[in-house]
Amino acid sequence: MSMEEELIRHLLKKPVTLRYPYEKLPPVKGLRGKHVWDSERCIGCGLCATDCPAFAIELIGKGLTAELKIYLGRCLFCGQCEESCPREAIRLTQLYELAESDRKNLILEFKREST
Amino acid sequence: MVQETIISLLQIVIFPGFLFFIIAAFFYEWVDRKFVARLQNRYGPLHTGPLGLLQPFADFLKLLSKEDIIPYAADKLLFSVVPIFMLSLPFTALFCIPIVNSTAPISFEGDLILVIFITTLIVISVFIGAWSSTNRFSTIGGMRACLQMLGYEIPMTIVIAGPAIAAKTLSISKIVQWQTAGFWFILTQPLGFIIVAICFLAELQKIPFDIPKAETEVVAGWLTEFSGKKLALLRLAGDLEFVLAGSIMTSLYLGGPSGFWFMPPFVWFIIKLTVCILILSNLRGLFARFRIDQLMRGVWKYLTPLALLQIILVELIPW
Amino acid sequence: MSSIIKIPFGPQHPSFKEPENFMFKVDGEYVVDVTPRIGYAHRGIEKALEDRTYILDLYLVERICGICSQAHTTCYTQAVEEALKVDVPPRAKYIRTIVAELERIHNHYYWLGIVAHEIGFETLFMYTWRDREIVMDLLELLSGNRVQYAMNMIGGVRRDITPEISSEIMKGVKVLGERMEYYKKICSNERTVLTRSVNVGILKTKDAISLCAVGPTLRASNVKRDVRADDPYAAYDEIPFHAVTYDGCDIASRIATRCDEVIESVEIIRYALGHLPTGSIEVIVSRLVPSAEIVSRVEAPRGENMHYLKSNGTDKPERYKVRAPTLANLTALCKMLIGGYIADIPVVIAGIDPCFCCMDRLTFVDVNNDKSWGWKGEKLRRYGIKWYKKQ
Repeated sequence: MSMEEELIRHLLKKPVTLRYPYEKLPPVKGLRGKHVWDSERCIGCGLCATDCPAFAIELIGKGLTAELKIYLGRCLFCGQCEESCPREAIRLTQLYELAESDRKNLILEFKREST
Repeated sequence: MVQETIISLLQIVIFPGFLFFIIAAFFYEWVDRKFVARLQNRYGPLHTGPLGLLQPFADFLKLLSKEDIIPYAADKLLFSVVPIFMLSLPFTALFCIPIVNSTAPISFEGDLILVIFITTLIVISVFIGAWSSTNRFSTIGGMRACLQMLGYEIPMTIVIAGPAIAAKTLSISKIVQWQTAGFWFILTQPLGFIIVAICFLAELQKIPFDIPKAETEVVAGWLTEFSGKKLALLRLAGDLEFVLAGSIMTSLYLGGPSGFWFMPPFVWFIIKLTVCILILSNLRGLFARFRIDQLMRGVWKYLTPLALLQIILVELIPW
Repeated sequence: MSSIIKIPFGPQHPSFKEPENFMFKVDGEYVVDVTPRIGYAHRGIEKALEDRTYILDLYLVERICGICSQAHTTCYTQAVEEALKVDVPPRAKYIRTIVAELERIHNHYYWLGIVAHEIGFETLFMYTWRDREIVMDLLELLSGNRVQYAMNMIGGVRRDITPEISSEIMKGVKVLGERMEYYKKICSNERTVLTRSVNVGILKTKDAISLCAVGPTLRASNVKRDVRADDPYAAYDEIPFHAVTYDGCDIASRIATRCDEVIESVEIIRYALGHLPTGSIEVIVSRLVPSAEIVSRVEAPRGENMHYLKSNGTDKPERYKVRAPTLANLTALCKMLIGGYIADIPVVIAGIDPCFCCMDRLTFVDVNNDKSWGWKGEKLRRYGIKWYKKQ
């Protein structure tokens, strides 16, 4: 019987459930979400592909003309690519709603603009 | 003559009859789920229908459309008959409760005994359902249900005799009429009301007494092998028993459909029934589950002497 | 004799969160014998660790378990740092401690909800899991993810604690401490909880020591053994705290032990945040690890976690072995279950805080000839097919 007051008090409180997707919490700063690539800074060293635990990054080409392909379906969102990159060219943003119904849409292809 | 037959047929089928009881069963399941959810600081059913009112109906329809599997080793006849049997019992008992005015559709001297006998028959059909399933978990659940019945039947029957003795009649309708003319029995027999609430929690197999159906121990207890249409009917039977329990508590202790003059008696009955069901739901959210030996010890050590005490008080006090 | 029936619990069962099989022999409502069969969650992690470099291994070790992830990575990075002979800066040690204690709070709230669900107390289950959201939000603020935080790296930690994060953590743990005091009061006063937990799952002190129980299971049987106190790692030699013991030897004592541990963790976090040393949070280490054989232990929320590392100078480990705490508690669990009721089985199993995914490792030991060996995956598969055909 000792929880009875607590129970009755909860009748007057608003339920604590968040009615997603009608109500959403703002994402925190530093959330590990979708990748974004800065082609100006990338030198094509390939450390991100070597250090990825899920083998989700593929480097196409070498050096300053290299391009990136990231398989989001394999990605752990661990952030090791961000850590290993010596030029901070690859970063994780705050986008977390990444579900797709077609597996082909989960492959991110980052290309350089041809000058 | 034909008009009277048509009216009584409409009464039996629609109001207060089968359709009304089924709608009441679904409504009170929604009330129970929503209330317990609010006690636990969450929403409960929310999206089906306005405020989630259609959720129990949606669950019923979904179960009706699922595959109905009869286990290879089960006793096919008994297994198929149990849900129908268990559905018809609460309907019979509910016709003996006065809802619209002070006389029920079935009312004769001794229908209180009929209602108590039906609650016993419900437990026997639980056992038959468990036994014919030939599944280890069902067997354990069925045995536990019978043990539980041995416990709470005695105090419940003793205490229900209290209003009968005070009103000097064994018919529920006449007890309600006595309370309408006099006063409500909860004022003189509060101990009886509490014991009846506890015993009904045990009969409905709700926490803290949901031992035969304990989900985390024996998968689903005696309900394990039922699926599809049979499970839908069994769940509807459970909801009807819930309404039956609330109705018995209302009729015997809270005066049934009697009240003051500015609302029809039917509305008063609904209000009192809702209060009783909210009390049962609150007890459901408050406690943990007992073990079967602790239940038996508690019932025989505490509930039965208190029930006898209540009856002695009813006899001694002159009104 | 003829009334003994065999009941299988698992691998799929509503009361287990992970698959394991326990074959019970029951007589009426009493449990007479129990035979566990483990191995349903075996994933071949130890073999996979040998194929990957040390940096990739960090994330694989983190995913041995969903909830003890910080404990596993702390153990791993400690082992590798000791082989590399580097010393982690003090600020990193404090941050590791703070995250480890937050994880301990998370784990104990989760566990309390599970035990409440097993005994049928749905309301306490909903309340504790609601409060668990607070600590998950704090961890998300710190590290970017609600579980599997990846805060550790070889040579330090990844992210720093800014003053805003620090004040959020202080506010959050204050609420958590108060709620845990309330739940402790409920669990020691509510009659229905007491009838299900007092004198249930008894493990006497000498049984606990001889069967090698670890963690709060051991400490609830009045044995004061805690790796944080006996063999301090990270920042535990500089932070004052008490190892909590109770002498009831039953489930009620285990509940009380874990509630007190949460309150201790709140104090540790407050002290650590108040005395956070300044400085850098990481050192740069080389990718090649010299040859060494290291054993490292940490106090995971479930008990003592041991990792063994054998390195050989390359950038991949030669052998890595993980001994999770639930494996140590398994024989003690079997002893606790015998002689009890069927209705107590889920509560007792939940009472040791089982984490079967941490537990499943495979090795062969021949006790008579004192040999041990392992099997490759293909041989295991063929043996499995032969075994099932025989059933």
